[in-house]
Amino acid sequence: MIPGNRDTRDGILFSLPFMIVFALFMVYPLVFGFYISFFKWNILGTPSFLGIQNYVDIMHDEKFWSSLWHTVQFVLMTTPVLIVMGFLMALLATSHSPLKGVMETVFFIPYILSMTVAATLWAWIMQKDFGIINQVIRLMGGEGVSWLTSEKNAMWSISIATYWWTAGFNMVLYTAGIKQISKEVFESATVDGANALQRIIHITIPLVKPTTILCLILQVIASFNVFGQVYVMTGGGPAGSTRVLIQYIYETGFSYFRMGYSAAMSYILFVIIMAISVIQYITLGRRDS
Amino acid sequence: MNARKILARAFEVALILIWLFPLAWMVITSLKYESEVVTRSFTFLPENPTLYNYLHAFSSTYILQWLCNSLAISIVTMIATFILDAPIAYAFAKIRFPGRNILFWIVMAGMMVPFQVLIVPLYLQFNSYGIINTLSSAILPRLAMPIGIFILRQFYEGIPDALEEAAFIDGAGRFRTFARIILPLGKSAATTVIILSFINAWNDFLWPLIAINDSVKYTITVGIANFQGTHGTEYALIMAGAVIASIPELVFFLIFRRKIIDGIAMTGIKG
Amino acid sequence: MKRKLMAIIALIAVGTLLFASAPQEASTGEGPVELKFWSLFTGGDGAFFDAMIEEFNASQDEIHMTNDMVKFDDYYTKLTTALAAGNAPDVIVLHQARLINYVPSGVLLPLDEYVSDEMLSDFQTAPLEACRMDGKLYAIPFDVHPIVMYTNTSLLEEAGIDKIPETAEEFTAAAKAVKEATGQWGSLIDNTTGTYKAYTLTRLFVSLVNQQGGSMLTEDMSAAAFNNEYGYNALVWLQSLVNEEAVNPNELDYDAAMNMFKLGEGAFYFNGVWATGTLEQTEGLEFAASPLPAFMGESAAWTDSHTFAIPVQKNQDPAKVEAAIKFIDWMTGNAHLWAKAGNIPTRNSVLEGEEFNALPYRADYAAAVSSVVANPPTAAWGEIYETLSDLLEAAVTKNLDPQTSLDGMEATVNEIISRY
Repeated sequence: MIPGNRDTRDGILFSLPFMIVFALFMVYPLVFGFYISFFKWNILGTPSFLGIQNYVDIMHDEKFWSSLWHTVQFVLMTTPVLIVMGFLMALLATSHSPLKGVMETVFFIPYILSMTVAATLWAWIMQKDFGIINQVIRLMGGEGVSWLTSEKNAMWSISIATYWWTAGFNMVLYTAGIKQISKEVFESATVDGANALQRIIHITIPLVKPTTILCLILQVIASFNVFGQVYVMTGGGPAGSTRVLIQYIYETGFSYFRMGYSAAMSYILFVIIMAISVIQYITLGRRDS
Repeated sequence: MNARKILARAFEVALILIWLFPLAWMVITSLKYESEVVTRSFTFLPENPTLYNYLHAFSSTYILQWLCNSLAISIVTMIATFILDAPIAYAFAKIRFPGRNILFWIVMAGMMVPFQVLIVPLYLQFNSYGIINTLSSAILPRLAMPIGIFILRQFYEGIPDALEEAAFIDGAGRFRTFARIILPLGKSAATTVIILSFINAWNDFLWPLIAINDSVKYTITVGIANFQGTHGTEYALIMAGAVIASIPELVFFLIFRRKIIDGIAMTGIKG
Repeated sequence: MKRKLMAIIALIAVGTLLFASAPQEASTGEGPVELKFWSLFTGGDGAFFDAMIEEFNASQDEIHMTNDMVKFDDYYTKLTTALAAGNAPDVIVLHQARLINYVPSGVLLPLDEYVSDEMLSDFQTAPLEACRMDGKLYAIPFDVHPIVMYTNTSLLEEAGIDKIPETAEEFTAAAKAVKEATGQWGSLIDNTTGTYKAYTLTRLFVSLVNQQGGSMLTEDMSAAAFNNEYGYNALVWLQSLVNEEAVNPNELDYDAAMNMFKLGEGAFYFNGVWATGTLEQTEGLEFAASPLPAFMGESAAWTDSHTFAIPVQKNQDPAKVEAAIKFIDWMTGNAHLWAKAGNIPTRNSVLEGEEFNALPYRADYAAAVSSVVANPPTAAWGEIYETLSDLLEAAVTKNLDPQTSLDGMEATVNEIISRY
């Protein structure tokens, strides 16, 4: 295995190109950003040192907590649905239907659209006065719904657009998971008289558990980082009720130019995401093995 | 039995149509005049189909240039990502060198960094290099994203050591083994990484929004978002822009459909 | 087959790279001075502005202006980062209210030594003085754009109203009369975040507080000053239009309000003067524009002003500064073209000129400019303004208790001020 034992040299040589890029464009800005979070700085003038004041202020910042809560809401509203949808879609895509290939393609197509396109499209579909949904409701004699402009609907509307846009990704992961289950397992179950629903509950769901864990971890991270859909569809409204944490970070940093404060908030978000990932990894991963 | 089958097919067709409907609506809206869009007397199909919005989009914006910019950025990103990621993924998978595990976890932690944390420092950094407002500034931060390494390492680990050892015995060095054995065997993983980095680069929004100043250098996602702001309530025009922006992606997807889907599936299988 | 595919991809890559890098900076030397310019004018405004730039470029051959439009939401983000990096364009547009965020950092060029007294003497005093800080001139006002009231004249006629309402009570009554007689909405004040925040609500609130003799912040700008009867009256009235009286739609966003007024679905509509040009282009809409009525006592209307400024560059090229001043001179001197969009010019020669006075409504509301309310000159104002929009939106759309809302607004504003 070791010709002349040059593993150390080779390891460094092979790692080096990426590590240089990583150090320059990930580690260095990360450290620099952490440094900024201890300052009050409007990017134009000279920074003034505040110590941990920014972090203290954040703890008392109502807008920070409400934005964090909206983010958690979005995570809770999207994660379970997206995972169930992905699974159901995968069942269709692996069924015996002659349309299974078409379904797989069609369900996946929205995922390749860019966020701006998907979000703009849904903002238009859900537009209160002239959007297709409300136009159809009105044709049928109903009254238009405030999809994006009412507090109780807005986050759900954003979630619906997100379902359409990203469910296909989870479907692909589940499809792969289902295809890995050996045919004999299903066949022997069929012989034993299990119907389709029983097979799904007793065979498919338990056996795709690793996929479920992966989907869960990826989905929670992705949902925690939500920004684009909200920014395009509601701008955080109505009355700030859909403002998510990244949007608040963006606004304080790049609209009000309180760079230090913004950086401090991003670090708190970083720690939260990191903590959740580690907890998920430990609890789910352990039970699985 | 037959009735059940018909019912199942009907259900599936309905699902497909529902899923495709938003895309169809995007196209339909783009073929209407604005006066037909913002109106209380709703019609589903355009009464006088028109390409006006498309002509307007092409003539009043740099939309074609934006597409080229996005294409250039995405292609360079996907090639560079692979060139950078493959060797280190190989090192993580197959070479036992001191500090390997620590290094691996540091790189993996990079996957969890919310990009917003990096924006301000990156901007200042790039500005001091004098490359803000160039296409390279849109590309470089993407190259530090470690997702590709994760996928490639998973795959390379599955390649039996025996294959490599055979090559070493024949007198091949590391580089030859890597180039002749690992890379060809890892082709499917490589495709995945390349495609994913293409899609991610194409869909990138926040960073190019900040890093690029001249509207002629915008990427298509930024251009379209700007388009929406510029044309306020001109939905028909905005939808025409969205259609133009989506066509290259759809073509890319339909050509590489199988590879893309299998590629994403791979991230899951061995995870 | 695979080789071919790779070759095609490589070709595309090379091709797009070449194309993507095609637009090069024009080489210096002979030919006109190339000036780069950033603006934030969108929609209707944008079209009029682009036309002006074209006309400027055609009017002479010494200077060539290239304009990059940036969406309003992102404009200040890009501008500030570019200023911090020292790579801002040669001329920029700034809202007067934002000058305070830039001048103290020394990123804008003081213009006194470049602008002739003759040119300056042509400007209206108030908007010009608003661009002066610590005795130095940092920007030149291009327009003034207060909030005004638009009325759908056909609806008013149908409802038998022949007089523009002058007080809050008269307005409410007129709006109710319209609703009863025509079935359309009495007033269209946007109150919900859509493409934009509910800025109209904030603009009216600011105007109404000032109409009663109050102000948004204390004189030294260290605290909120609207949590009193002035703020209370203003908020209660804005809430009543949507809730008790139900003459104004709830959950109405900026775009929807504009569209509904265009479609003739509301009698009174409030927006900045910039909407005039767009409304005039709407077929079948009969409307009039008038200065914001003195609903609560004195005349006072929220306003802001677009100004031109010249960023400090690492190597400031005097030729470019000179060209930029010429450009600014031309733009402000031909602002009757800009008035087509609805905006009010700032130079006497334009205000007295024939072209401007031939345009409808403008002269009326231009006369009202004397009673405009300037934005408080504090760096915190931007954040206060945006935050108040959110809080007013919640108070009006959810009909929250006005006193509790005002208490909350005051506390939030004070907290914001403490962080700057």
